[in-house]
Amino acid sequence: MRRITVGGAVLRGAVSTALTISLMSGSALAAPPVDLSKWSPEYVRSIAGTQDFDTAGDCAKVTPLDYKGRLTFWYQGVFEGDPDLLRQYYKDFFATFRKTYPNIQLEEQALTYNDLLDKFRTALLGNAAPMAVRLQILGGTEFASKGYLQPLKPEDVGYSTEDFWPGAMKAVTWDGVTYGIPTNNETMAFIWNADIFKRAGLDPNKPPATWDDVVKYSKQIHDKLGIAGYGLVARKNAGNTPYRFMPQLWAYGGGVFDEAAPSPTYKEVLLNSPQSKAALQASYDMYVRDKSVPVSALTNQQADNQPLFLAGQLGMMISHPSDYNVMLDLQKKATGTDKDKAQTVIDNMRYGLIPTGPDGKRAVVFGGSNIHILKPEYVEGGKVDEPAAKAIICMWTSPEWSLKMAYAGSNPGNLNGFKTKWMKERLDSIKFLDVTTSMLPYGIPFPALPQSPEIMNIIVPDMLQNALTGAMTVDQAADDAAKKVKDLMGGGL
Amino acid sequence: MTIVSGKAEARRRLQSARSDVLRKMWEHRADYAYVLPAIAVMLIVIAYPIYYTIELSFFNTPPGLQLRDKIFVGFNNYTAILTSGVFWQVTFNTLIWTVASTFFSFVLGFAAALALHRDFVGRGVLRAILIIPWVISAVAASYIWKWIYHSDFGIIGAILVELGWAERPPNFIDSVSTVLPSLIVVNIWREFPFAMIMMTAGLQTVPEQLLRAAKVDGANAWQRFWHVTFPHLRNVSTVTILLLAVANFNSFIIPWIMTGGGPSNASHIWITHIYELAFGRQRWGVASAYSVLLFIILMTLGYFYVRALSGNERKDGSA
Repeated sequence: MRRITVGGAVLRGAVSTALTISLMSGSALAAPPVDLSKWSPEYVRSIAGTQDFDTAGDCAKVTPLDYKGRLTFWYQGVFEGDPDLLRQYYKDFFATFRKTYPNIQLEEQALTYNDLLDKFRTALLGNAAPMAVRLQILGGTEFASKGYLQPLKPEDVGYSTEDFWPGAMKAVTWDGVTYGIPTNNETMAFIWNADIFKRAGLDPNKPPATWDDVVKYSKQIHDKLGIAGYGLVARKNAGNTPYRFMPQLWAYGGGVFDEAAPSPTYKEVLLNSPQSKAALQASYDMYVRDKSVPVSALTNQQADNQPLFLAGQLGMMISHPSDYNVMLDLQKKATGTDKDKAQTVIDNMRYGLIPTGPDGKRAVVFGGSNIHILKPEYVEGGKVDEPAAKAIICMWTSPEWSLKMAYAGSNPGNLNGFKTKWMKERLDSIKFLDVTTSMLPYGIPFPALPQSPEIMNIIVPDMLQNALTGAMTVDQAADDAAKKVKDLMGGGL
Repeated sequence: MTIVSGKAEARRRLQSARSDVLRKMWEHRADYAYVLPAIAVMLIVIAYPIYYTIELSFFNTPPGLQLRDKIFVGFNNYTAILTSGVFWQVTFNTLIWTVASTFFSFVLGFAAALALHRDFVGRGVLRAILIIPWVISAVAASYIWKWIYHSDFGIIGAILVELGWAERPPNFIDSVSTVLPSLIVVNIWREFPFAMIMMTAGLQTVPEQLLRAAKVDGANAWQRFWHVTFPHLRNVSTVTILLLAVANFNSFIIPWIMTGGGPSNASHIWITHIYELAFGRQRWGVASAYSVLLFIILMTLGYFYVRALSGNERKDGSA
């Protein structure tokens, strides 16, 4: 029998106590700043405005404010579909950064969502990339897997990994290493026009509960009023398409792989499963059978749906809370009777949760953007000014700026942003914000694979187009897409 | 003895020819020096990319690997292209696009040039108006036409519905059967002014005396055109058609902006497909193989273009 001495017990006790204390004080076991298990609109309201943060003071600990350097920086900026309010915050951010770090020569370049990946890939091939880049959530894994990015975790810029959504951290992790920090995370909501619902004989205050209801409502709106019911988007090479189709696919129980599962393995391709085919069939029914969605869906982006909605020619769509502000901006530009018509639409704009599938499953794309630092060998000039890069990353991912830069359309990447006074102000001023924050727990990240951009931007829209144009049947389109994904994962040409 | 002297004679002639070439090169050394910078630039911006594209066409570039880690696959990219269904669809689209755009742009441009060759009030203004499609930005034109064609709220659809000629706006660019003809119309609209300018210039070279003489001899308008005007325009027509064909084979802006090659690849032509393969899907190897094939086709067209130009020069020289 083994004897335990008093000395040994004390030693073991001391060691285990020290270990526990060190783990608790370290980031590994640090508690998240907000309680994700209590997430609800009420909880978000209860924490808003409860804490102040000193952004410059926090970032000074990472990079001294008098640091002298030079930084080249590309980012996915605001585009035609964003509200003016967000444009102003982007201007304010860069002005504040220059004021906070007057000795850092910042050369920033804004690119649109659809252009950024192409341009960044090309720049990397010529070793002419910027020192830091803010990419859409879909892109990080591709560049990390190719070895272009430096390891970068929240702790490197003064924050804790637990300060960010776990799902968002998955999207910046490749092979167990973290290569970036989330700047903002978004989940969209379901938007409808209550007046159109009423005129079509639907309950104006009740959105469709399921995707099957969306199909029915869309047909009813079209048949009764002769306008498009649901704002389907199926353009290729545009981020808008997967952001609108994937929630439908997941709600029906389908997927590209098992990305909707709690611990995805990405082993089996499910694009041609019966559930995925049912989701595709729903789109087919709306576009081909009922003709209840815009015919232009195959060439349209969400930015094309916004004026249709404002003109009262579209009953339902999926989008950000910022669309409310976009409508206000567009309404200001309207003249004569168009202005009054637009106001009627705005007054009748309603937001709700994205519908569920037949089994009650609700899903939305967990979107957003991440910020990364490049390796010097891929950067123009072969040098990366790391302190300068960390300074801008610290500022952008701070509670203050991650909230402000996502003010109208998204949510702060840094969870502490929900505690700031600007969050409180935002809840009061941005209509329907609580709906999109309520969708966050239903968020599913795109597969964290280097092949994801091709799957989401090309293969999935191709599948939709093949089915909706009649080039293939629903079954053939799904099988064709599944084969393309398998070939892609197998390293085929 | 005769054989030996014959060989010596051949050697002597060869040496003489060589020294003649060297002497001429030396005499023209200043000329070579003048063109050297241009040749150097061409080597950097044309020859090296061509070499690199050919090299890359023999490699696989999967999305998870950097380009420098590319995998040698021999002729697999070429085999994959030639055996893929998309290749034949895209090639068919490209042929339709190139032939239709070139033919109709030329015919329309020629007709406009003939109409504007006669003297009438407002000819200058009309000529300036007709040139507008060619001088405005192709990007701007593509966006404008996208809205003109819009399947739900396009101006053409609105007019047709308003006049009661259609119940719903026609589907121009969201249908696999109508998208390519619709884009070809836009391309013709943009390109015919170029043909018009070229043919207008050609018409100015037709000798007025010949036309007058033909008229005196009793030739009607058609006979004067066919037997006098047209033969004089043969070379400029060849050059115009070849330039239009090369430009159309290389078209990118209109199909890419208006449809992105869709729906369902129905408006993908070679260039847009190559762009998507390279930048959207990062299949640099396959895209390079496509580019090599396209290069061969364009070089063939270029050969005929140079021959046509040389023919012109010889004729001008002998005239």
